Amino acid sequence: MRRYGPAVLLLLTGAAILRISLFGELYLRYVQAGLRPYLVVSGFLLMLLAVAAAVAGRAEQEPHAEQGQHGEHGEHTGRDQEREHGEHDDHGDDSHTHDQHGGHHSPRVAWLLTLPALALLLFPPPALGSYSAEREAAQRAAQGVGHFPALPAGNPVELTLAEFSSRAVYDSGRSLAGRTVRLTGFVTRDDDGTWYVTRLLVACCAADATTSKVEIRGQDTPPADTWITVTGTWHPKGRLGTDAAWPPVLDAGSVRRIAQPANPYEKR
Amino acid sequence: MEDRRTLVDGVRLVVRALVYAVVGGAALLAIATVVSVLGPMLALDLYTPPVAAWWTVFTAIAVQGVPFLLLGTVVSAAIGAFVPEKVFSRLLPQNQALAVPVAGAAGVVLPGCECASVPVAGSLMRRGVAPAAALAFLLSAPAINPIVLVATSVAFPGQPKMVLARLVASLATAVVMGWLWARFGREEWIRLPKRHADPAAIGLRAFTDGLQHDFLHAGGFLVLGAAAAATFNIAVPRSVLELFTGSVWMSVLLLALLAVVLCVCSEADAFVAASLSGFSPTARLAFMVVGPMVDLKLIALQAGTFGRSFALRFSSVTWVVAVLSSVLVGWWLL
Repeated sequence: MRRYGPAVLLLLTGAAILRISLFGELYLRYVQAGLRPYLVVSGFLLMLLAVAAAVAGRAEQEPHAEQGQHGEHGEHTGRDQEREHGEHDDHGDDSHTHDQHGGHHSPRVAWLLTLPALALLLFPPPALGSYSAEREAAQRAAQGVGHFPALPAGNPVELTLAEFSSRAVYDSGRSLAGRTVRLTGFVTRDDDGTWYVTRLLVACCAADATTSKVEIRGQDTPPADTWITVTGTWHPKGRLGTDAAWPPVLDAGSVRRIAQPANPYEKR
Repeated sequence: MEDRRTLVDGVRLVVRALVYAVVGGAALLAIATVVSVLGPMLALDLYTPPVAAWWTVFTAIAVQGVPFLLLGTVVSAAIGAFVPEKVFSRLLPQNQALAVPVAGAAGVVLPGCECASVPVAGSLMRRGVAPAAALAFLLSAPAINPIVLVATSVAFPGQPKMVLARLVASLATAVVMGWLWARFGREEWIRLPKRHADPAAIGLRAFTDGLQHDFLHAGGFLVLGAAAAATFNIAVPRSVLELFTGSVWMSVLLLALLAVVLCVCSEADAFVAASLSGFSPTARLAFMVVGPMVDLKLIALQAGTFGRSFALRFSSVTWVVAVLSSVLVGWWLL
């Protein structure tokens, strides 16, 4: 096992990365869509390295059995041991003395990699939901009031929550007025009974998630965390660009339950 | 005689196997029953929303780090295996005071986030680059490369000064840290694993060996850092910080601390900074300058690559220099 430790670790990590990026769209729960090709390449590279490590592990065992017959191999092991020895001295008082053992043994700290790898392979953690959304006050992007480009055609017009929010709060041209829009997100609730359609925004990975939400009026509250699409019209409130205009409000005509979208987050 | 012995041996073996099977099977059955009854109850009790969110953030940071870490270790292993020792000493000025800014500016060429730069800096040192210059590169590379600067300009539309301020403050911090190291640093604080010191191991074999070792080693520390970052991410809600937006000084220090514990990748931190709308531009600049240079994940990676005594000293001084430099640049430009 010790001999094949690096191979096993690399294999597990590579398999976990490929499982979420190549065989399915689970990676979207953790990182932004643009990272997919890099994840796939990394996964394959790790697999290749695992094979190389396994071959090296086999080759390492042979010279012990047939010492003398393969001069070259024998020399190599000798050199490895020498190197190992040298390192040992260098790391005399280091806490992870044994981490540095030469050639083909994995550093002990590397076994931590099994934690996320096995989690991804066996029980992929869920996408962030209402828990994360409720503990962060909804943030609004800092931007000035200005004239926005015209909305795309369509009735209703599909908008991201971020797009709807910035138009509702900052658009001096009031492009939302008189349009029917459709928003997608999950349900979050306040203690006083108001409820919101909410979505998390991710720029790079789930660690940088921020919240955007739109208050919904005129419909009964679905259970928290239900994924829905809401169709309705903008309900103007507050003066443009002020805190009073936040969060924006939608008068809902209809609420429809849906399955969680492939990408649970909005791209920032 | 021989036959009887093999027969006895065989019988003994069968009996032993049976005993093992019965005892082991009973034990397994018992464990399986207990786990299948208690397991779901326990798992449901423990798998609360905060725990689920912790796992998601933890795996997210690890997954996001893997491609960049791999890029960094590929470059570092390639330097170790294929670049002759003399190349860097010829490229960089002999004078350390001059080599530091050159190495800092060279950070532009590594288009990755901070996970990539640690192994590269390590292999530069093994290849005879003066530690002061390698450290300036380590600090500047994740902060001033084109991808990060473009992300910053997207996050702060219509504020090109923010991009310029980030570039200037980050480069200044990196160069000052390099000079500080050249003046006060001691070689014995750095403990480089001497894997590539062997001059005979050059070529493909050295490349895969180095790549495999560096990736596993740094990967372990990445996981450690990800766990710490996820813990803070879940334990400290960002909204708590809004209480401190009143005082200018407090807000700069607070966002500089937040950058350390949140460990947002340097390609994404501009978006987070932009969303911290209650804070002054200087405080947000400090968040973006400190983040790529000092955070929990990086401290763990540096401790793994250069040793703990180095990581703690270096990170704390870097934090102070980065805060000072962002305050000065913020006061000048923003």
